[in-house]
Amino acid sequence: MSDAYGDHETHEETAGSGIVDNDNVLRRVGEVLSSSFALLVLAMLAWIVTTQVNPELLQTIFPRFVEAYLLVIQIVVVSSILSVFLGVFVGLGRISNSPITNRIASGYVEFFRGTPLLFQLFLIYLGIPRLWATGTFPLTNWEVPAAIIGLTLNHGAYVGEAVRGGIGAVPDGQMEAARSLGMSRVMGMRKVVLPQAWRNALAAIGNDQIILVKDTSLLTVIAVPEIMSVFRNVNSTTLDAWTPLLWVALFYLAITVPMSKLVQYLESRADWGGERH
Amino acid sequence: MNPEHPIVEYEGVNKWFGDNHVLKDIDVEVDEGEVVVVIGPSGSGKSTLLRCTNRLEEIQSGDIRLDGISLYDSDQDVNRLRQRIGMVFQSFNLFPHKTALENIAMAPIEVKGIPTEEAEATARDLIEEVGLAGKEESYPDQLSGGQQQRVAIARALAMDPQVMLFDEVTSALDPELVGEVLGVMRTLAEEGMTMIVVTHEMGFAKEVGDRIVLMAEGEIVEQTEAAQFFERPKTERGRAFLSRLL
Repeated sequence: MSDAYGDHETHEETAGSGIVDNDNVLRRVGEVLSSSFALLVLAMLAWIVTTQVNPELLQTIFPRFVEAYLLVIQIVVVSSILSVFLGVFVGLGRISNSPITNRIASGYVEFFRGTPLLFQLFLIYLGIPRLWATGTFPLTNWEVPAAIIGLTLNHGAYVGEAVRGGIGAVPDGQMEAARSLGMSRVMGMRKVVLPQAWRNALAAIGNDQIILVKDTSLLTVIAVPEIMSVFRNVNSTTLDAWTPLLWVALFYLAITVPMSKLVQYLESRADWGGERH
Repeated sequence: MNPEHPIVEYEGVNKWFGDNHVLKDIDVEVDEGEVVVVIGPSGSGKSTLLRCTNRLEEIQSGDIRLDGISLYDSDQDVNRLRQRIGMVFQSFNLFPHKTALENIAMAPIEVKGIPTEEAEATARDLIEEVGLAGKEESYPDQLSGGQQQRVAIARALAMDPQVMLFDEVTSALDPELVGEVLGVMRTLAEEGMTMIVVTHEMGFAKEVGDRIVLMAEGEIVEQTEAAQFFERPKTERGRAFLSRLL
């Protein structure tokens, strides 16, 4: 009898009322559909690479992409760390009992989540130097600091919301237990609530940080020589689209794939008493 | 400790949640080493009274004193007072990101500043006392409800409190796990710990309790020696409460 529930194909299954009612058949249909889709994509990719991509150009432009990639990595690492750090404080501000702190944190989130990043980048890159008399703004390479400030402020708002949600999901009893042991509210937050909130928020924060990586593509409009701007330069001089596009895809994935692995690793590490034991 | 005054003293305690008068003129004195069991129907204010005893809830009038010191005295640091009052919750509230040992040793290390080694040695002794030797490195998720609650008791004891509060600590447990937790509490009582216990376990109340406080609708209806309460309650409501249990 147990065979009927196993993975083996059995003839009993044909006795089912309809072909789609059968779990096993449905599973096979799914496998066929997804494999055909993958094959189609791979075939298209192979066709494009062989007919559209110019191997010589691929080699010539490689160093320019590496240079842009290294700059993007630096911008991402700095903005990522700063935005998570900022986000923790924004999240704490959002749950603060003090109406002042609470409103300031809410206003911050509303503004940076409610206006486009592109606008914020222009505001910082073009707007701020205008506050000095023409020609007296002290920074000459303002685009990279402006990019980091813009990405940090924008993503700090999203991380803040993730942290707020993570704190909200920690049961009240945790803080009560901490307080009943004589811990102050701050200590209870730091030692008991935040480590759990961090785990709750990790998936959302990871998601946001991957979006941050992709948001660096907007920096092309404030003259940061990042990956998309290299593409635009190559494309406008050679009129070749597919060759530089291939590098664009690979270089973005070379940041985002390790990043999602890192998030997975952090999540498994915060699975206290779960599978890993 | 001063034998002149009770260790915990409630005097004219009143509390409202909005318009809801949940504690009405509560007067109770708990002596050192005494086990006071608070019983009564749900919503009678038993748990609220317990939560007020370490200021997880605030009272609006009256006073609660620990060893003669008012909990509501503005000169007193509530975090210091709470270190002298152990509390065990219905839902255990163990810290899920810490092992059993870390749960117990955490507050002594962080709050009292006891060296890690010393605090962990004490924690190991306490784990053994509650019958969980070998579970030191387990995370709460790897323990049964009864085991978690025993770790929670050990965690409260690690602060070396003068009084222990138990808030329906067996209500969330599977029936077969209730006994192991009550067993630990019985031993504690025998060792002379002062305990205020809110419970629905009448067997425990009768056997371990020194005094029964019966509450209904935010009031204390009756306070009687445990043995006498279960034989001959002094009030009509006490009789009514007991008859409903049978």
